[in-house]
Amino acid sequence: MKLEALTENQRWLLSFYRTSEISGALFFGRLAKSLPPGPIQTDLTKHFADESQHSWYWTRCLQNLGVEPIKLETAYQDQYISAAGMPANIMEVLGITLVFEKRVIGQYALHRQAKDLHPEIKSTLDLIVEDEKWHIEWVTQALKNMEAEYGKDHIDKTLKNFSDADKEVYQKTVKEHEERISGILKF
Amino acid sequence: MLDANKVKNRISQVLAIPSEKVTDEAILQELVMDSFILIDMVIDLQNTFNVRLNQEDLIPVKTVGDLINVLNSKG
Repeated sequence: MKLEALTENQRWLLSFYRTSEISGALFFGRLAKSLPPGPIQTDLTKHFADESQHSWYWTRCLQNLGVEPIKLETAYQDQYISAAGMPANIMEVLGITLVFEKRVIGQYALHRQAKDLHPEIKSTLDLIVEDEKWHIEWVTQALKNMEAEYGKDHIDKTLKNFSDADKEVYQKTVKEHEERISGILKF
Repeated sequence: MLDANKVKNRISQVLAIPSEKVTDEAILQELVMDSFILIDMVIDLQNTFNVRLNQEDLIPVKTVGDLINVLNSKG
C-alpha cells in the first residue's frame, strides 16, 4: 500500500477531533474537581483522564504524520448547548454525555472505514474507540442507577431531547464542513 | 431561604472572579462566556446548597438574581 501525505482536509479533520477531545477533557476535569466523592466522581475522573489522553493521541498522530495541529476556536460539543439547552444537573450532564459519546464512536467507526486509511490514523482510532466503549458503559449504568431518584421516564425524555439536538448539530456540522470531509468520509 | 450573599460568594469562588462583579443584575453569560463552565457552576451550587434544578428551571434565568430566585424556589 502506498502511503500518501496527509491532505489539508485530513489535517483539519484530525485537528477537529483533537479540539473536541480537549474540550471534553476540560469540561470533565472541572466537573471531576467539583463533584462530591462517590462512584460518579471516580468514573468521571477516569473519563477526564481518557479524554486528555485522546487529545494527546491525536496530537501525536498529527506529528507522526509530519504536520502540526490546526488551532480551531470552537469544538463540536460547543453547539450542543444552543441546540439542546443547558443541562442543569448531573443526570442531564450524563444524558448529554451519553448521546455525545455515541456520536463520537459512530464518527470514529465511520472514519475507520475510509478508503486507504493511513495506519497511523487507524491505530489512533482503534486506541480511542476501546476507551469510548467503556465511556458508554459507565454512563449508561450511572443513568440506570439514577432511575429511582429522577424517574425512568424523565431520564428517557432527557435522552430523547439531547438525541434530537445531536442529530441537528451533526447534520449542521456535516453540511458546514462538507467540502473538507466529503473526500475522506462516506455518509 | 438561601442566603443570597453566600450564593454570590460561592459563584465568585467557582468562577474565580471578584465578588464585586457578582451582583443581582450581573448577566451570567457575561460573567462567564464558556457555557460548560456555567454548567459546572450551576451543579456546584446545587451540591453546595442541597438544591436540585432541572433544565427547564434555567430557561428564564439570565442574571445572578434570577438564579438565586430559582434556587430559592427549589430549596
